[in-house]
Amino acid sequence: MSGETFSGASRYVLDAELAQIVNVSMALEMPLLLKGEPGTGKTMLAHAISESLGMPLLVLNVKSSMKLVEALYQYDTLTRLNDSRFGDSKRDVSDIEAYIKPGKIGQAFAADKRTVLLIDEIDKADTDFQDDMLDVLDQMEFDIIEIDKTIRAKHRPVIIITSNAKKDLSDPFLGRCNFHHIAFPDPKMMRRIIDVHFPGLSNDLADNAIDAFYRLRQIEGVEKRPATRELINWIRALQSDPDFKPKRLIKDELPFLGVLFKKSQDFETANRITQRRARY
Amino acid sequence: MFIDFFYQLKDHGVPVSPTAFLTLQKALGKGLVNSLEDFYTVSRSILVKSERYFDLYDQVFAHYFEGVALPDREGLELDELARSLLEQWLQHPKELADALGMDEAELQKLTPEELIEYFKERLKEQTERHDGGNRWIGTGGTSPVGHSGFHPGGMRVGGVSRNKSAVKVAMERRYKDYSLEGPLTASMMGEALKRLRHLVPSGPKDQVNVDKTIYQTMKNAGEIEIVFDSSLKDRLKVILAIDNGGWSMDPYIPLVQTLFDYARAQFKELKTCFFHNTIYDTLWEDPARYKKPLKVDDLVRRDPDTRFIFVGDASMAPYELMAQDGSIYITNRSGRPSSECLQFLAKTFRHSVWLNPVRRARWPYTRTINLIAQIFPMFELTIDGLEKAVGHLMART
Repeated sequence: MSGETFSGASRYVLDAELAQIVNVSMALEMPLLLKGEPGTGKTMLAHAISESLGMPLLVLNVKSSMKLVEALYQYDTLTRLNDSRFGDSKRDVSDIEAYIKPGKIGQAFAADKRTVLLIDEIDKADTDFQDDMLDVLDQMEFDIIEIDKTIRAKHRPVIIITSNAKKDLSDPFLGRCNFHHIAFPDPKMMRRIIDVHFPGLSNDLADNAIDAFYRLRQIEGVEKRPATRELINWIRALQSDPDFKPKRLIKDELPFLGVLFKKSQDFETANRITQRRARY
Repeated sequence: MFIDFFYQLKDHGVPVSPTAFLTLQKALGKGLVNSLEDFYTVSRSILVKSERYFDLYDQVFAHYFEGVALPDREGLELDELARSLLEQWLQHPKELADALGMDEAELQKLTPEELIEYFKERLKEQTERHDGGNRWIGTGGTSPVGHSGFHPGGMRVGGVSRNKSAVKVAMERRYKDYSLEGPLTASMMGEALKRLRHLVPSGPKDQVNVDKTIYQTMKNAGEIEIVFDSSLKDRLKVILAIDNGGWSMDPYIPLVQTLFDYARAQFKELKTCFFHNTIYDTLWEDPARYKKPLKVDDLVRRDPDTRFIFVGDASMAPYELMAQDGSIYITNRSGRPSSECLQFLAKTFRHSVWLNPVRRARWPYTRTINLIAQIFPMFELTIDGLEKAVGHLMART
């Protein structure tokens, strides 16, 4: 893999470890499975790779009821039935291929250029979905049964798979992937991430917001702790408020807690604790 | 290359596969790995497939490349003993030094790690020479010489900076949090309960059934007739009966609450009721078990396919379960032993399980747990147990 190495993108701060893993996965042409807390940039990584290497990005958002075939191709039987009945379309009814629409994986395989294929939140689908996908990922080809044609990948796409679940995926599936767990960034790293997203942000606001954010993350008994995504949205909210002074953060007067805590119970817990802190 | 390393990972319980090892060789062959740091990240991402094993990987890596001592499972007890000795030493240096026949000043020179090592040596010696009890105390002659001083007030903290070699990264054990010994969380419960779904068609008919459409169209001699079906929805009925009475369940309340919260979010038709210890003729719909009684006999009218899940420690006095007048409540006098009532429920609802927050290892010591386990299939309230229970509930009989 000459020349094609990944070293970060304009809006993505990459740690050296992850960069190494991405590059190795690309060189070995193996899918990379990413796990980690929601909002730590698993999905963003694929966007960043696509941006920095100039490869088109295809996103397959996995849904709970999804079958693998849907991701490969769809045979539009109804249109064909309709066309054959009324005969008023330009398509050739006798040609089944005209009614086959490639799905996201199909598009990635058929592309003339190497693409980045993001399979987002694979854990949502049944285990059948993963098992069916094994062969496709292994051989980089699949059959369209209706027209008895094999689609082979012209260029092996860079495959990024994300998973949120704490539970493991099936072993054979894992065997075909490289694995990385994105740990939650430490405050220093977080500062760099914030700088990338808000180039003109004042030091005062950035430091205090990050400080307050890590204090909030330490609250016990919160089910969904705020992550990077929430922090970015929060800073955006703070910036847009003309009355807001960064100094208030030090005193634990935290506005817009709803941006950080999305569950009503979590919100109440956080609210109670920060108010108690603010009083003293 | 690194075959030893591979086997050490395997020996320490990291599930590694030969295929992954070959992939690693491929990566090495391609010249992708140029330093130990590279090797650390690359081999981890290829060999280790779950963050739960990252910690173990770190330990083995540090051991293999730098000879850091691995936690010795057999030596664990000794470790604990030595540690408690150390604590004692911190509190009363003089007493312990006397007991060991050592000079207090000499022990002062050792670092805590060295002290622990020293205590361990001592303890080992003692176990080896059990009969000659006081000999090990007497051999205080060898004096290990320490350095870097020891302050009984505080321990040295291994402060390693960021930006360091892979071995140091590994020694940091950043992934300790993700090791297997984590508590049961709501999302883990959700994962286990997700299997408990029973999809049946319901709702508006808005999905095209292609096969039937083609069939009907052919039957109409080409006149198109599109057949719609309703989509599949989860319609599983679940009754959750929770033991919320008495002290015996108190330690498990957070665990049961998590389960309950998740169950409520997960199932469309969930009925929750409460009982204390065991069931006589009534269950209660309110947690106080006072206002809304629910007659057990009335449950017969419910769908027998309802999944019945009991949660309770099943620990009580045997007479509560077996005697005709067993109930500890005076108003509860049915003249029927509770065990019969449970058997009745088990017969009515084919799919029922009993989840017990008490660890399985402790079950044999409580008679009533055994008795109830004969009536209902009983599972531990852990991720493993939940999954087995769900498997049992979904089994076709």
